[in-house]
Amino acid sequence: MSEERTIELLIGPQHPGSGHMRLTAEVDGDLILKFEPNIGYVHRAVEKIAETKTYVQIIPLVERPALPDTANHNLGYVLALEKLLGIEAPPRAQYLRTLLAEINRIHSHLYGIGIHGIFLGSSTMFMWAFADREPFIELAQQLTGARMTYSYIIPGGVRRNLPQDFKVNALKALNYMERRLKDYDKIFVHNPVTVARLSGIGVIKKSDAAKIGIVGPNLRASGIPYDVRKIEPYCVYPDLDFDVVTREEGDSHARLLARIGEIEQSIKIIRQILDKIPEGPIFLESYLKLVSPKMRDEAEKTGIMKFPALFSALRVPKGEASSRVEGGRGEVFYYIISDGSPQPYRFRMVTPSFRNVIAFKYALRGHRLADIPAVYGSLDYFPPEADR
Amino acid sequence: MVFVPLIFPGLLTVTIVIVVLIWFERKLTAKVQLRYGPLYVLKPLGGALQMVADLIKFTFAELIVPKGSDKKAFILAPILLFTLSLLPVIAIPVSSKYAAFFSDLSLLIVLSLLTLTPIFVLLLGWASDNKFSFIGSLREGFMMMAYEIPMFISILAMAVTYDSLDLKHIVETQSSSLWGLILNPLAAIAFFGAMLMTTARYPFDITEAESEIVIGPYTEYSSVIFGLCLGASYVKLYVLSLFFAEVFLGGWNPFGGLESLHPILPGVAVLAKGVIIMGLCVFMRSVYPRYRIDQALRLGWHKLLVLSIVSVVLSLGIVGLGVL
Repeated sequence: MSEERTIELLIGPQHPGSGHMRLTAEVDGDLILKFEPNIGYVHRAVEKIAETKTYVQIIPLVERPALPDTANHNLGYVLALEKLLGIEAPPRAQYLRTLLAEINRIHSHLYGIGIHGIFLGSSTMFMWAFADREPFIELAQQLTGARMTYSYIIPGGVRRNLPQDFKVNALKALNYMERRLKDYDKIFVHNPVTVARLSGIGVIKKSDAAKIGIVGPNLRASGIPYDVRKIEPYCVYPDLDFDVVTREEGDSHARLLARIGEIEQSIKIIRQILDKIPEGPIFLESYLKLVSPKMRDEAEKTGIMKFPALFSALRVPKGEASSRVEGGRGEVFYYIISDGSPQPYRFRMVTPSFRNVIAFKYALRGHRLADIPAVYGSLDYFPPEADR
Repeated sequence: MVFVPLIFPGLLTVTIVIVVLIWFERKLTAKVQLRYGPLYVLKPLGGALQMVADLIKFTFAELIVPKGSDKKAFILAPILLFTLSLLPVIAIPVSSKYAAFFSDLSLLIVLSLLTLTPIFVLLLGWASDNKFSFIGSLREGFMMMAYEIPMFISILAMAVTYDSLDLKHIVETQSSSLWGLILNPLAAIAFFGAMLMTTARYPFDITEAESEIVIGPYTEYSSVIFGLCLGASYVKLYVLSLFFAEVFLGGWNPFGGLESLHPILPGVAVLAKGVIIMGLCVFMRSVYPRYRIDQALRLGWHKLLVLSIVSVVLSLGIVGLGVL
């Protein structure tokens, strides 16, 4: 027999701990020598498909790759489109957009924490986090009519007005979440086994984090206070008071704590939005004029703006525009080139997971086989979002 | 003679206890995790027959033997694993008149038979010809070294305390003195820790760690022999819990008197104590995530081993001071 010291492990795409991708690990005993994430298993050619769709059809399209985080993708795309159209949504609509984005951020983070839990073997954390997404999905449903793929944010405003009893329900959900965060702390976040598994594992140093260009909570857990909401504010974020959650350690536990901290900040933001939200139209006046009087009356009466027919033939002036927003997993970037036809000439979408995937290579080297799920979960990597 | 290994506390009781235990484990975990758990198989009793349905499913599933595997070892290893896990039951007396056979060394017989089981886990992992099975069985091998030694030493402490290697004598001693748990709590803790490791309960679910190595040594298994693999760890848990009940929880005390009615009756007390221990072990699932292998080994070698050695010293002190 030849003297081979190492074995190459192919983890996935059919493995309970791989997600929709293949992880190639070269291990010497229990130590990882080389680690390669092999992505592309769920590539759906979103960018190419977008070039064949009208602008308004792209809204549901961009939501599909990142199902736990649809509102932020929706928002990013519409902001770029509005730049091209040269319009800006009325203040109330801006508030509603921010509201949905933050609700979505909470349940997107819960999703990541839940997956992290099951990867470490804590099925309780998994079940709790997934169950506690429910109040926020319900809230989003009240607001938008859909549970996951909201398509709520449209050029010129939002589709629906705030329902009557929304504030009461929202405050109930927020109080519930604050209580639950304490439970999470006991059962998982500061469980001695979790701490032993996560602290000091998968450290990404500040300089490395900047060099490899990761984004979102993963970057902030390495000590860099980079948050698009602060650096390049959009919607009503400049009017809101919140902190950028950073941690200095840069390890897996810091990334988990950063997510927990962001949930707390999002709760704070939603409270402020509910207090501050101004009265007024939810859809751009100049667009509303183009709608038939019957539809306009109905929209005013019910607070529900049906997708106006004018969007189906929406012609966007020649030019290009880009936008970025802070999604649940990090910075989402959109770039559109329009040649004046009903479809974009070129559509570019850079998702946070795609920028974070490289961290696998650096964070896992020299660690143990059992650390793969610990680090994977902490990066909150979502393969369909990366593959687009 | 046949009654003990086959009916009580042997195969039939084991099957019933495991069916109920797994149902209880799933129900309890579900309760903690805000869900229902098993529900639809026998709905009035909350899905109590779910495990029976699962067993039937396992039995009739297709048996796949991978091409590259060592076929004899692949099929025989789980069968031997299960048998050897159950075999120690014969040496556990459930009342002073009722056991398959009485021996002066029953304490050692139980432990030494259980020590053999990890060898078959190693064998079946090796025979599967799969990298994940291989890693899983290696992990089992490493873990074995870390838990067997503290387990034996903590039991040595109890043997010193009671001055006997006979389970019957140990339980009878406890009728007139304090129970083992109170006499030597350190040995009980060390043994309990080692027991969690042996039976792959959380937080030591390391050999089967799903998100890391699929299901460890059993990755390539299917059908009824897969059921045997999974059952073996529960059977081991059952045997060790009965053993724990006898050594640390006073066995059939204080119901030894029921013996005059029927020799089996005190055994029910042993079983009840054992089931409580089993319940405690399976409850760990809802509280703890899983340790990494090196952390578990460190715990075994640094903490449990030291604890068990201290417990021997404590026992020597108890004997020296003549507390018993």
